[in-house]
Amino acid sequence: MKCPCQQQQSNLSLLQPVLQKYASVKGSLITILQQAQEIYGYLPTDVLYHIAEQTGSTPARVLGTATFYTQFRFQPIGKYLITLCDGTACHVNGSARIAAAVQEYLQVENGGTTADGLFSFSIAACLGCCSLSPVMMINEDTYGSLTPAKVLEILKDIQKKEAAQ
Amino acid sequence: MNQIHFTINGIPCVCEEGASILQAAKLNGIEIPNLCNDESVRVYGACGLCAVEVLDDGRGRALPKLLRACSAKVMDGYVIRFDTERVNQSRKIALELLMSDHTGDCRGPCQLNCPAGTDCQGYVKKIAEGDFHGAVQIIKEKIPIPASIGRVCPHPCEQNCRRGLVESPISIAFLKAHAADRDLEADTYRPACAPETGKRIAVIGGGPAGLTAAFDLRRKGHQVTIFDAAEKMGGMLRYGIPAYRLPKNLLDREIAEIAALGIEMRNNMRLGKDFTLDQLRSEYDAVILAVGAWSSIAMRVPGEELEGVAGGIGFLHDISSGEGAVPDLKGKRVAVCGGGNTAMDACRTAVRCGAETVYVIYRRTRSEMPADAVEIEESIEEGVTYKFLTNPAKIIGENGKVKQICLQVMELGEPDASGRRLPVPVEGKFETLDVDLVIMAIGQRLDPAGLDGVSLTKKGTIEADSATFLTNLDNVYAVGDATNRGASIAIEAISEGGKCAAVVDSALRGEIRPYRAPFHSKKNVTAADLADREKKPRCQMPVRPAEERRTDFAPVNLGFSDETAITEAKRCLECGCHDYYDCKLIRYAQQQEIHPERFDGVHNQHEKEQRLEVIERDNGKCILCGLCVRVCDEVAGQGILGLVGRGFPTTVKPEFRSPDTIRICATCGKCAAACPTGALRLIPSGSAAAST
Amino acid sequence: MSIRIAVGKGSCGIAAGAQKVYDSLAQALSDSDISLDTVGCIGMCWLEPIVDIYENGRLTERLVHVEPQHTKIIAEAVQSGDHAALASLRISEDDSSFLTKQTRIALRNCGIIDPESIESAKAAGGYSAITRILSQENGMTPEEVIECIKVSGLAGRGGAGFPTWFKWNAARQSAGDEKYLICNADEGDPGAFMDRAVIESDPHTLIEGMLIGAYAIGAQEAIVYVRAEYPLAIKRLELAIAQAREAGFIGQNILGSAFSCEFRIKAGAGAFVCGEETALIESLEGQRGMPRLKPPFPAQAGYWQKPSNINNVETYANVAWIITNGGEAFAAMGTEDSKGTKVFALTGKIRRGGLVEIPMGMTLREVIFDIGGGIRDGGTFKAVQMGGPSGGCIPESLLDTVIDYKKLAATGAIMGSGGMVVMDDSTCMVNMAKFFLDFTAKESCGKCVHCRIGTKRLQEILTRIVEGKGKEGDIELLEELCNAVRDGALCGLGQTAPNPVLSTLRYFRDEFEAHIREHRCPAHTCTDLLLYKIDPQKCKGCTACARKCPVTAISGAVKEPHEINTRVCIKCSQCMSVCKFGAVSVT
Repeated sequence: MKCPCQQQQSNLSLLQPVLQKYASVKGSLITILQQAQEIYGYLPTDVLYHIAEQTGSTPARVLGTATFYTQFRFQPIGKYLITLCDGTACHVNGSARIAAAVQEYLQVENGGTTADGLFSFSIAACLGCCSLSPVMMINEDTYGSLTPAKVLEILKDIQKKEAAQ
Repeated sequence: MNQIHFTINGIPCVCEEGASILQAAKLNGIEIPNLCNDESVRVYGACGLCAVEVLDDGRGRALPKLLRACSAKVMDGYVIRFDTERVNQSRKIALELLMSDHTGDCRGPCQLNCPAGTDCQGYVKKIAEGDFHGAVQIIKEKIPIPASIGRVCPHPCEQNCRRGLVESPISIAFLKAHAADRDLEADTYRPACAPETGKRIAVIGGGPAGLTAAFDLRRKGHQVTIFDAAEKMGGMLRYGIPAYRLPKNLLDREIAEIAALGIEMRNNMRLGKDFTLDQLRSEYDAVILAVGAWSSIAMRVPGEELEGVAGGIGFLHDISSGEGAVPDLKGKRVAVCGGGNTAMDACRTAVRCGAETVYVIYRRTRSEMPADAVEIEESIEEGVTYKFLTNPAKIIGENGKVKQICLQVMELGEPDASGRRLPVPVEGKFETLDVDLVIMAIGQRLDPAGLDGVSLTKKGTIEADSATFLTNLDNVYAVGDATNRGASIAIEAISEGGKCAAVVDSALRGEIRPYRAPFHSKKNVTAADLADREKKPRCQMPVRPAEERRTDFAPVNLGFSDETAITEAKRCLECGCHDYYDCKLIRYAQQQEIHPERFDGVHNQHEKEQRLEVIERDNGKCILCGLCVRVCDEVAGQGILGLVGRGFPTTVKPEFRSPDTIRICATCGKCAAACPTGALRLIPSGSAAAST
Repeated sequence: MSIRIAVGKGSCGIAAGAQKVYDSLAQALSDSDISLDTVGCIGMCWLEPIVDIYENGRLTERLVHVEPQHTKIIAEAVQSGDHAALASLRISEDDSSFLTKQTRIALRNCGIIDPESIESAKAAGGYSAITRILSQENGMTPEEVIECIKVSGLAGRGGAGFPTWFKWNAARQSAGDEKYLICNADEGDPGAFMDRAVIESDPHTLIEGMLIGAYAIGAQEAIVYVRAEYPLAIKRLELAIAQAREAGFIGQNILGSAFSCEFRIKAGAGAFVCGEETALIESLEGQRGMPRLKPPFPAQAGYWQKPSNINNVETYANVAWIITNGGEAFAAMGTEDSKGTKVFALTGKIRRGGLVEIPMGMTLREVIFDIGGGIRDGGTFKAVQMGGPSGGCIPESLLDTVIDYKKLAATGAIMGSGGMVVMDDSTCMVNMAKFFLDFTAKESCGKCVHCRIGTKRLQEILTRIVEGKGKEGDIELLEELCNAVRDGALCGLGQTAPNPVLSTLRYFRDEFEAHIREHRCPAHTCTDLLLYKIDPQKCKGCTACARKCPVTAISGAVKEPHEINTRVCIKCSQCMSVCKFGAVSVT
């Protein structure tokens, strides 16, 4: 009995190379978690249990570390992760209006994912692109000097692109 | 190792170099408050309660920052204080913040609603265990006359009993009476008294307030004398409450127990007649006025002066005064005016005196009556007729004697300040009843005879400080019905007697400590929270049939059997925290005045959860000191518990992955032992989990 | 003549379209022998994308707001030598003054060298300091290095301003063979991005500074703890480390000396508190990033309980320059109390926002108005926020305060890591205080009571004030709680968390009072306190607002003046933006 929920059935072998490299290197838990999230898109519970077992730790410790950091997710996310900056500069320059526009258009809460699974939305403390404020990232791409209209245009472009495929 | 010298709160201390301030204090017998420290695990520094100020670092400089005593090392020459304003403020806010997110009941609503703060949950539990002496031991911390009070108390404790949200409250008062009865039968519990202090205290009035004050002060080692104007002690309990509710021999037994502690009881001593206040003040170190309120308040209606108009208390007093004092009311019609318990006592007494018809005149309706519901119910069974929504307008006489009473018909208007709807007269509508006796039971007030020099309030009561109970005269205190707000129920008088005793004791020991209501954490519980509880009906008190009891003054209630009492006691939901007496958090929280409500805000929402059969975790009470996690990790070497999340919503979560882990926890329990609050509990085998 | 074209490709440049410009230029220049380079961020963010043209190593043109359609013109101009066509792209003299008033040490190579080429870095003097230190002839002992840093007066640029030499010396003096040198690049302060810019633009400067530090304290391993939100910085740093190892600057017996040092990057996982050095260490060890009690300090028992030294990126970025130019040269700049230069990220309602490096001792007014060009869009200066969630707001009346650790602290703000967010009269200061407390409450690790619950309660009180539900006594309650949190919190995050509240209360108390007593937001920012109205004189009854209103709060017949039901209105301001007649106003 490894995972009490017995619901998730992640392919744990995908994680094997990562564990091979880091399991015995002390202090590597965060690195392992980061790579696990790369692989699975989030951190499924059975993966956390597996990591605990393989690193000689306990689930409580692994979960404790994972839930401490905002980078880690415990639910699958959409294909496009929208990260809106709410740093000081963005805040002063109206990031709240951008957030409202995204949330209204996509009908998604902070931390949530759209019903079609295409977009996830989260608000971040600061992306460090203050001079372009307000700023957001969609996956690895950064978009600056946003206005509500500009945001909708960007989102519609992605939707169009997805619909075409 | 070098010995170093330093002071803590002015006390010279010494220890070896290298110790933390907290350790150093402990070595010198001083406890610096702390919640997250435990010597078996590494220093953590979370709670901030151990903050200290270093006024001199041994080189003539004060350190600018507060230090955490758990981590800061003590240095030679340090002048350390944890009683400065800055430290107190820091600790106070830490406690207020902790309490602002501490979801739990320190004490059950029963205890919080008892004016005397009796540990109802505690003695009910003892009764559930069949330990009646143990129950009485708990009760007598607050109530010296439990058998009597258990019979007469309108039991505010039951009002808020959470069982009431499930089906009906625990029968707390009757349980108390039962335990006390059984205790009186044999091996009666008698508390020990502290060594003699040589201080002498005079208590004027041997009613519930005076008896309690005397009892508590005697236990503290003082010499106490009670002076009472009546032939026997007991006050209103003896002369205001009819024997069918409280048999006098029982009261005698309980008073004898009090006297047995070595309290001198002097009866037939009336203040102002047989002795003066000044005499007592010169002879005693302190005087407590507990004289009660013995004059019935007049209704101010025409005809009050007629023969056949009596005050409620006077009527009851005369009947209780002695054998053969019971008047014959055979064939008479009696009107009792008022809706309180005195009115109930008067009307039911009138029935027992043979009256043909007994009316209760009350200006509102039954649901507004302040009297106990059971009393109303039983009086109706006994044949009392209620005239609701009527108010005496005039008493009509003939030859100087009462003949009729004219009643103004009322109706209910808008609610008043107390929330009760105000009765207003229906213009021109009256009703007249033929009566022979009118008893006014609308309240009592103080008879100020002999209280020369004592300040009175506008209401004519003795003015006493609400925290010190001091009157305007030095070393003269006042409690009970005679003071401030005036007459109330017996348990209120007992409450004041007890609190006053503590104040007097502190004053006699050199520094007066005014009464301060202790802080308690409270939790909001609704019926929905208890929807899953099994319903267990309240055990009914067996009573004699109305036909039989209306003819005599023998007790109405027949009493519980042991089985019934135990069954009833087992209904208790145990709302109050199991850890109250060991909880460090509440201990510190009560050491200084705190007001967490200032920081009222979001509480973390926590489900109480029971893991295994043995550990119950109530995260609402968790203060995130991390001790359970650290002990599990560092002492037990298991790492089963962990902190989850970050910041305000952080929680402690146990991770039970495998049956093996569960076995470990079942035999370990170190986490629960380390918990400074009631968040973790080892459930004693065989007992059900606590409830709310 | 050798011609080099450099495109600024920091994160923000790329976000502004620099990659597209670069690709387009590459195509346009494909047949020429003109070299096309990637450089980092020059710091003139409001002008991105920027293209620089060097002729014979000398900067001859700086082109701004370049778009792909311009690249053909640029290629032709450069090849023909006739730059007339570039006039419209050329940076204005006014904008150029942004740079001329700065003194760049930490940023000396940013935007100039190719961050992905160690050769480019070396050509700009990179690794000359460490080479000299390790050389046989005129090398320096670790003690001499520490002495040099001591003379320079360099203090920690992460915020606290602790003397760097002191930390280095403490770590050096600590017993033990195993020591660590750590770089805090977990730049979490919202409104600061200088560390990202340095790593993206000149990673070798950081590596060299760290090597010198490692040499000085005797560390065999150097670790850079970088925010995971900075993927480009991580990528460039990884590349730079690989190149440096290749070139013999990292590894065993560096440059043939006895000094060995390994390098490693550790990506942070998102926790502002990890900027606190002991929390950072916990995180490096794979734990929850909760601060440890001090003492012991990291210099005694840090990473894996071994002596460790932690500085931030900007601090290390100064080190090589100091070794090369001497501690005295660095100390010659600045004030009595604060030496050298400081980098600021100038943002907010400023005309010219970007990276600014100035000698200590310049006034705030000079930075904001002379370098930053003042307030944009015709607004009026209200305050400048310095030090982020640990800092405070400085009002107009104190703009002549000189930049110096002590003088800034006296205002209630702090030097901090260098975020400088300028605010104009449309910024509500109560809302700003709430913004920072939202941040710290979210970022509190949850360990100590004062911070975990205290910041939460502060945030709640501020929230009710901006929602118009503030009570009489709330200001005093805020002050009392702020003081207690400052006194009682375990680490720097908690101890400084009240600063944004205390400083706004100090200078803008009237705004708090207006919210509480008059239910009014003077800056018209707090939506709950706004009142939207339609001027019947101006309203033409076009129904546009009524149709747009998401809660149908607007009524009125066609061609008749409309009205807003203020009880239904959710203050989304859509009516205002849709009205063509300026009939909707807000108070």
